[in-house]
Amino acid sequence: MRGYLAVMRGSFMVSVVYRFGFLFTILGNIIYLSVAFFLWKSIYRSSDTIRGLTFNETFIYVGLGSAIFILLKTYVDWILNFEIREGAIASYLIKPIDFGLYTLFASFGSLLMNLAAITIPTLIMLIFVFKVEFVLGPGLIIFPLSLFMAFLVSFYIDYFVGLLGFHSESVWGLSTVKEIIVTVFSGALIPLHFFPEALQKVLLWLPFQAIYHTPLMMITRPDQSWNIFLPMLFVQIFWVVILFIATRLFYNQAIKVLRISGG
Amino acid sequence: MSLIHVKDLSKHFKILNRREGLGGAFRDLFSGDFRTVEAVAGISFDIDAGEIVGYIGPNGAGKSTTIKMMTGILKPSGGLIEINGLVPYENRIRQAQIMGVVFGQRTQLWWDLPVIESFKILKEIYKVDQKTFDEHMDMFNELVGLKELYSQQVRTLSLGQRMLCDITASFLHNPQIVFLDEPTIGLDISVKAKMRTIIKELNRTRNTTIILTTHDLGDVEALCNRIIIIDKGKILYDGDIKKVNALFGAYRTLKLQIDQFNETTLQTLNDKLTEKFGTDHGITISENEESWTDVTIDQARTPLSEVLNHLMTNFTVMDVRIVEISMENVVRKVYDGALT
Ligand SMILES: Nc1ncnc2c1ncn2[C@@H]1O[C@H](COP(=O)(O)OP(=O)(O)OP(=O)(O)O)[C@@H](O)[C@H]1O
Ligand SMILES: [Mg+2]
Repeated sequence: MRGYLAVMRGSFMVSVVYRFGFLFTILGNIIYLSVAFFLWKSIYRSSDTIRGLTFNETFIYVGLGSAIFILLKTYVDWILNFEIREGAIASYLIKPIDFGLYTLFASFGSLLMNLAAITIPTLIMLIFVFKVEFVLGPGLIIFPLSLFMAFLVSFYIDYFVGLLGFHSESVWGLSTVKEIIVTVFSGALIPLHFFPEALQKVLLWLPFQAIYHTPLMMITRPDQSWNIFLPMLFVQIFWVVILFIATRLFYNQAIKVLRISGG
Repeated sequence: MSLIHVKDLSKHFKILNRREGLGGAFRDLFSGDFRTVEAVAGISFDIDAGEIVGYIGPNGAGKSTTIKMMTGILKPSGGLIEINGLVPYENRIRQAQIMGVVFGQRTQLWWDLPVIESFKILKEIYKVDQKTFDEHMDMFNELVGLKELYSQQVRTLSLGQRMLCDITASFLHNPQIVFLDEPTIGLDISVKAKMRTIIKELNRTRNTTIILTTHDLGDVEALCNRIIIIDKGKILYDGDIKKVNALFGAYRTLKLQIDQFNETTLQTLNDKLTEKFGTDHGITISENEESWTDVTIDQARTPLSEVLNHLMTNFTVMDVRIVEISMENVVRKVYDGALT
């Protein structure tokens, strides 16, 4: 455990080295928030609720959504692919650590950095600049946990695609397809409420909605009851367990065909 | 029982025959045109605790592939490896704790972090206690003086500095075995000397078993008691360094740049040498790069000075260099039966 925590710390420090990039991300986020604010304000001019959501709720979804989008992007598939091709993966495999956990804790490092540099500032801006109101309720309490589960689902999907790189030299095509699927089916691009009813039903059976839709539901309508939120959380946990087991099994198989480049 | 037991080990890679150009790359997507490379073709050896073994051979011989298999990160195609009675590939995490590895061309340190941070992370990963860690760092500081580098980012280190840090890292957890794949590649004489000092010292004080690949025969002479020569995935020689040392020592190559070099020059050279030293002169002649001719001399049979003299009087030699025998030539000699 000590080792994994040290890895997390190291990865956090690496993110700090690149903190300059964050300044631009934050700046971009401010611009995005302002544009979204005025856009949705004008859409809401004609009615108070659209598809059952008030302006306040929609703006939380959209505003916090972009911050969470950045937070939940792990880039693990791209990183693994790069490391496989360079042969750098050898330097992890020669260490007495579990590869999956190692990768996970390295991702935690950048997750922490993203939280500190993007998610929390966005929250503060939403509350103090855009005067968004968060209703106290069960959703607010369960939100952090749900967000963490969402991160794990996102991580394991990326990790799975990354492991495909053990088989073939380049997975960038697959990564791109995955990126599109996740962005659309998780509700990151358009809230799932705006999808046709039939499609919504299908999407609820897929893991993608657990990434984005679920935590955002909790934070936009926190006043709903535990009876609604707890099953949603369980679905997330279900997907984390399934994906965890699937990637484990897949790793055991994929490591057999991994060729370590270089030498 | 020996520490490392390798029996009939083999590894082959199936590789796609790639076609040229953009169109070729497209057609490759659907190609079933594979060929098999036998990187390691059935090798066996045993290594005991405390040995320093030089694992040498020309480029593409299969050295790195063997090391990857011994460290448990590459699955063998056939045969067996046991370290302490366990198969590294199946017990990767457990075996990693007792091994240190340096791949000369790449670092295991965190590229973007200061050097000391990598050491601290490794300390945690290998569960090294503070006291051992401090002692280790002191010892390395004494041997090679790394302290000034601690606060520097790894990616800003020079190649030699980085390599010394990597070596330090690989010994940090006091492993039983250290694999060094070309640890002296691209290093200058003084850093090479430091490197050799560390390796010798750790082998002496901690009885660490060391397996070393290198293209520098100087490393082998300075460090190893035993060498294994491999070429095309097969072992050509495994045994005492002394026999091979004689081989390295006895042979010298004269590199000559001869005026008006043409197709017949090599033949004329050979004729002139045979004329003077008889048929059993132990000299091989080959054309090297443009206009340079290699004359490799077995000093046990013919003195180098006499060959040089003779050549200088018979040919217009514009430039001369004397070099120690190269790895390729050692292998050629071994093929020719120099060790049997
Ligand atoms: N991943 C791979 N895919 C296909 N062929 C490979 C792969 N890795 C190694 N080979 C082939 O296996 C052979 C042995 O390679 P290896 O890296 O073990 O050589 P080496 O002895 O370390 O050489 P060098 O001294 O140049 O480092 C080479 O012919 C190489 O092309
Ligand atoms: Mg090599």
